[in-house]
This record gives sequence, structure tokens and C-alpha cells, in this order.
Amino acid sequence: MTAATISPKPGGLKRLVERYPFLPALLIALVLLALNGFYQPRSVSFIGLTGLVKTYLALMLLAVAQTYVVYAGDIDLSVGAIVSLVNVVIVVMMEKMGGSGFSVVAALCVGLLTGLACGIVNGMVVAALRLQAIVATFATSIFFTGLALYVMPVAGTPAPAAFWRTYGGRFFEIPFVFYAAVVLALVLYLLARTRLSTQLLAVGDDAQAAFQSGLPVTAIRIKGYALCGVFAALAAFCITGDTASGDPLVGGKMTLFSVAAVVLGGSALSGGFGTVVGSIIGALIIGLINSLVFFVGTPSEWQNLVQGLAILVALMAGVLVGRRARA
Amino acid sequence: MSKIELRGVSKAYGATLALRRGDLSIDAGEVHVLIGSNGSGKSTLCKVLAGSVRPDGGEILIDGKPVTITGPRSARDHGIGIFYQELSLAGHRTVAENICLPDLPATAAGFVDRAALETRAARYIALFDTVSGDGFSADTTVENLRADQRQLVEIMKALATEAPVLIFDEPTSALDRAQVDRFFEILRDLKKQGRSIIFISHRMDEIFAIGDRVTVIRDGETVGTEKISDTNPAAVIRMMVGGQDELAAASSAPPAVAASGRPIALALNGLSGKNFANVSFEVAKGEILGFGGLHGQGQSAVLRAIFGVNPVASGEIMLNGTPFQARNPRDAIRRGCAYVSGDRGRDGVISGRPILENVTPIHYLRQKLKLASPSALAERVKPALEALHTKFGGLSHPINSLSGGNQQKIVIARWLIDRPDVLLLDDPTKGIDLSAKADLFSLIRKLAAEGMGIVLYSSEDAELLNNADRILVFNGGQVRRELTGADRTRYNLYQAAYEAA
Repeated sequence: MTAATISPKPGGLKRLVERYPFLPALLIALVLLALNGFYQPRSVSFIGLTGLVKTYLALMLLAVAQTYVVYAGDIDLSVGAIVSLVNVVIVVMMEKMGGSGFSVVAALCVGLLTGLACGIVNGMVVAALRLQAIVATFATSIFFTGLALYVMPVAGTPAPAAFWRTYGGRFFEIPFVFYAAVVLALVLYLLARTRLSTQLLAVGDDAQAAFQSGLPVTAIRIKGYALCGVFAALAAFCITGDTASGDPLVGGKMTLFSVAAVVLGGSALSGGFGTVVGSIIGALIIGLINSLVFFVGTPSEWQNLVQGLAILVALMAGVLVGRRARA
Repeated sequence: MSKIELRGVSKAYGATLALRRGDLSIDAGEVHVLIGSNGSGKSTLCKVLAGSVRPDGGEILIDGKPVTITGPRSARDHGIGIFYQELSLAGHRTVAENICLPDLPATAAGFVDRAALETRAARYIALFDTVSGDGFSADTTVENLRADQRQLVEIMKALATEAPVLIFDEPTSALDRAQVDRFFEILRDLKKQGRSIIFISHRMDEIFAIGDRVTVIRDGETVGTEKISDTNPAAVIRMMVGGQDELAAASSAPPAVAASGRPIALALNGLSGKNFANVSFEVAKGEILGFGGLHGQGQSAVLRAIFGVNPVASGEIMLNGTPFQARNPRDAIRRGCAYVSGDRGRDGVISGRPILENVTPIHYLRQKLKLASPSALAERVKPALEALHTKFGGLSHPINSLSGGNQQKIVIARWLIDRPDVLLLDDPTKGIDLSAKADLFSLIRKLAAEGMGIVLYSSEDAELLNNADRILVFNGGQVRRELTGADRTRYNLYQAAYEAA
């Protein structure tokens, strides 16, 4: 559908898509946004968009997390489990410490460290022990889920009001999540300029070549997983802010959505090529599809089917636009 | 005292001994040429020095002190930089990023220092300013560059290490004349600065243009070192050939057949395509035509073009006197052309499937079989397998249960059920054991005797000398020389292969 809107201009367009590989995704997101507005005008209002960002900020962060490992040609199927683990760890800690402002900050620090530790474990298993990334992180995901169930066997412990009121609240008439989005953009901008980003992409391009160039390939891959763990923890904070409770299985189904978001955003799963901006747009696309399916008035028993079809169509459109632009 | 000295370095990959005893001594301020035939161990020796391959034995001395090189990073710390023959570039990164990749300049805060990176890269890009060609700039992504431009980036990357010892493993294979000249000027400058340069090339003229000394490696052993000014190309080739000359030729080679009078099975007339140009030859029925020369000089490309794998740009192919232009391998097979590749994993074996299925695909295609009973097929398959002395447990066993040599026999047996008119062999004995090789070649000669036209490309010179009636020597995608009768000697083969392209 969107492929037809671009006339194949050789040269300029090719350069543009090569430089900004997320352009096809952006186009799809805009089309979806317009469709959302057509079926439910209120969804593109300020409040509607705030709700969208509030709900899908977690998936955006998780897609960013996934992007850093995909850069290096790896994959992390445990990101969802890390989200669950961090979610229950911070909720339990806040509850034990009484839910004061200090307890929230302390719990968030512990949450970040938990994510970091999970990432390092993944990195060690995949890069140092050289196990297959798909299988190894699948195994660690079960392990992390087990830990989460040990920390909180049953879902439902509420998060303290101080935490979710902040996440859902406003400062100077601007919702908190927009501040969070701006800080995220700044952090991503800085991260893209670190040596690690370039090194991860070089490893993804050709690990053997990177090794022969003298790059510490194993250390770089472990750092990629560690970064992924940290961003998964940040995603967990957003989930906790959104749902206001602890649930040891909350992140499970997000894992493959994060992979889909990365691919929708124009990154190559084989590594070496991609952008975090693309992954964020990819997460938005998934969010917009979900809300569109709802706004169109799909009967509830058909929602999953339509949602799946729509994601397939979006993937195809992205591939078609990208291929035509690069041909 | 030598800048770098290697003593008795050895390296084995599994059962294959890549380097038996590598000795090398490099002075400061010299260009030291390393030469040897395919698979003689030059690249392995260089990789040991560059840290990307760990040696099994031997010692390395830098400035007289023994050192252990644990990896590419440690090699850099010891002042060794390398140009890799297979290149070590990141395709999606820019030229500038690739040049600086081993040591990205960083600001105090830990971010990539873009300004420093671009200044540093610009210095090396400027060296080749006049010859780098269109579309070459610091911010081009490497995957958009031509082969020669990529090679220039790898050269710049090696130069950017500013290492006192620089290794160049076939740096000129894709470069044009002007680029090579510019590169040699730079090498001479480096020499004046007292840097040591190890240079590998297969072009004799380059070696004599740039080298100070030459070390010859044969079968994984250092044969000797000569001053370039004291030697000549013929003497170097004789060192590379060693005493094997008498051994190989004449005695076991088949008699040169007079091709005249026999019908022509396959004829090429001015065939050109990617990686080869203007190739013409005729193969008579019952003749074995050999393709010789160094790796990757167009031999495989020609065979794959005949078989319809790669497109043909111009020229014509005649099979049994009728024009033959295969659209794809399927078409080629239908019309009686067979192709066996040494790369079994890619081109031959149907991995994980039973032997029976691996022997019969050609039979299915040529007989247009829709349904077949396994027992009837087994009857047809048996004689083909027996002809090759194939050892296997049962036809239903997976092909992966066999050794490399027996797998290759299965692949060849495919073509024996419905005989083709022309058999194209693309380095068919790669990685298979000696007895399987002997079986293969006795079968190939038998097939020729029965009237099949055979083209044999082999990277092992002995196989060519022992089996081919005529040998076409390839260099730079073209046939440089035809060796017939008593001319089929190792010396002539090397000389033609190493001539300037």
C-alpha cells in the first residue's frame, strides 16, 4: 500500500534510505497514525497520544534494548523475562521499604543493577561460552522467569502510589512520559556516538574481520548484552508505572514484539546495519496497529488475527519500500 | 640484527599441516617478498605473525627478543600491522570508520572523536587521491565500493596502524596499473623511514619491481632466501618447483592424444563473462583438458558459466556441434552437461538426506521421473556406486555419515546413471583423501576412454600433470598458455601462472 506512494527516484532516494534506514518505517507509522485519526479522531489528540506513549514506552525501550544486541548479529530472547524480573524486584522492594520517595529511588537502582546483571549473564553465556544466542537466551529467559516467580509467586502486589502517580502524572502541564521520551532521545543520541555503537556494528558486519582488526570481539558482545539488560530494566520501570503492580510474567509476551519492532525499524537481524530510532518507530507501529484494530471495531475474537495480519503487511511494506529504494 | 625473525613456526588445521617449518628473517627498511604456490603456507605464516592464527610450535623474535603474540591486538602492540588477502572490512561502515576501526579515536568523555577520526582517515585517503577513482570518499559505505577500491581501503587501514612492521598479503590482486604504481611509491617511502615490509604477490614483475629480498616457501617449509638483485624469475620459479619437476611429468602422464580426427564434444569461442574474458578452446570426445594456474584466475568462473550457473556476456558455446547456451543448470543437465564442484557443501551434497536420494536427482531430472520405487532405483544406482568403489553402510543411511571422499564419490555417481556428453570438474578433489583421489582419477580416465569430453580444473598441479592431455594456464581471467605433450612440466606451469597479467 505504501510502496506505491514513493516514486522510484534512483540515486537520491537510495542515498536517503541508506543514511536513514528507518524512513520506510516512519512512512508506515505516519500512514497508521492517519488511519487511527480517521477511525477515531480523538486518538490523535494530545491526550490520545499521551496514552499511546504511556502504554508503549516500555516496548520502545525494549526494542532499543534488543537493537544493541542485534547490532552485533546476536539476539536476546530473554528481554521479556528480564522485564518481569525487574518488575517484581522493584515492586517487592518498594513495598518492603514502605513506599517512600527514597525507597522508590533505591528500588530503581537495584532494578537497574538487576537488569545489568541479567545482561552480563546473557553476554557471558553467548559470547564467552559461545553458545547459540537463540537457544542460550531462551534458556536464560526460563531461568530469569524462575527467579521472578521466586521473588513474587503470585501477581497482584500493587506498586506504591508515589511511583505510578509520577509516571502517569504531569509537570508544568506536560505529561511525565514526554520528559522521559526527551531524556531517552538524549541518551540514545549520546550512545550512538560512543565507540561501543560503532564497534557493535563492526562486529555484526563481520565478526572474523573485526577480530582480525584487533577489536576485542567477546568483550564487545558482552557489553552489548549488558546494555540490553539495562534498557530492559528501564522498560520494566515503564511497565510498572503503567500497570502499577507486580506480575512475574508481565514481560513474557513482549520479547518477540521487541524483535518484530527491530525488524520493522529497518535493522538487519544478521547484524551490522540498523538504527535505534528505527526500532522505536517499529515499536510505535506495533502500538498503532493494536489501537487501530481496536478503533476499527474488530470483534474481540478476531483481534489477534487481524493484528497478526497487519504486522505482516507492515513488514512487507517496509521490505518493499526498502528494496525499491535500494535497487 | 633482524627486525623480526621467525624460527621453525608450524601450524596444523586438524589433520592438514598448513605450515611445517616456517623460517623468516626481516630487516628494518626492506621490502621482503614471500612467494610460494597455492597452499604453500605463506598466508598462514603471515597470520601467525599478525596474531589471528595461533602457531603450534616455533618462536618469534622482535628486535632479538622472543615474544608471544596472543591475538591481533597483541600483534598491534608489538608493532605489526597487516593487510588481509580476504580483507577485514565492515561492509556497512564508512571508509573513514573502517580505516580507524582498530583504534577509534575517542574524546575524554568516551565518545568517538569524529573530527580526529576524519582527520586521520583523510591523511591516508589523500595518499591515493589520484588513483582511487569515482565515488570514493571518506563517508562512502564500503559495500558500495568496487573491488579495487575496497582493496585500497584495506591498504589504508593497514597503513593507518603506523606499525613498524607491515604485512601485505596479496594487496594488488584487484588493483589496476596506476593504483599499483602509487602503492609502490608509498612502499618506497615507508622503506626510507626504516619500516619493514612483508609483501606477498603472485606477479613476478611486481616482485622484481619492489622487492629487496625474496623468501620461497614450498609445501609449508621455507626453502631459502635470496637477494632480488642476485636472482631472476626463472631461478625463483626453480626454487618454488624444487626437485619435483622430474617426478611429476612424463612418467605417469597419459600420452598426448592427437585431438584431430576425433569429434569435438565441447567448443568455446571467445567466451566472456564476470571474472573471465575471451576464452576459446575445444575438447574432443575422449580428451581430458586441464585448467591450471593460481586460484581464482577464472577457471571456476568459466566452468560455472558453461553449466549455466553464471551468466555469459558474449561468445558462444558449442556442444556436440550445436550451439549451447544453458539458461540455468537444469537446462544444462537436460542437454547432457555435467558439473562436479569441490565445494560439496554448497554445490553437491543434499545434506542430511539418504544416500539413495543423493545419487538419483540427475536421474529424476533426465528421465522426468514422477514416481519411482526405491528398490528399482537401487538396482540402477548400484553399478554407479560400485564403479567408484564407494564405501557405504546402506542406501538409506544419511550422506553425512560418509567421509568427504565418499561423499564426493556419491556426488559423481549421480552423473553415471545417465551418462552426460561433457563432464566439468571444478577442483573435485578438494579436501578428500588420497585413496579416494586415486579412485576418482582412474574413473575419470575410464570415462574419457569411453568417449566423454572432460574439463578438469585442479588447484593441485600434480593432478593436472598426471591426468590432463592438455593444460590451459589461466591468469587474470584469460588463457595465457597451452601446454601439450612434453611441455607439461611443473616448471612451465608455474612460469605461465606467475607471468605478469
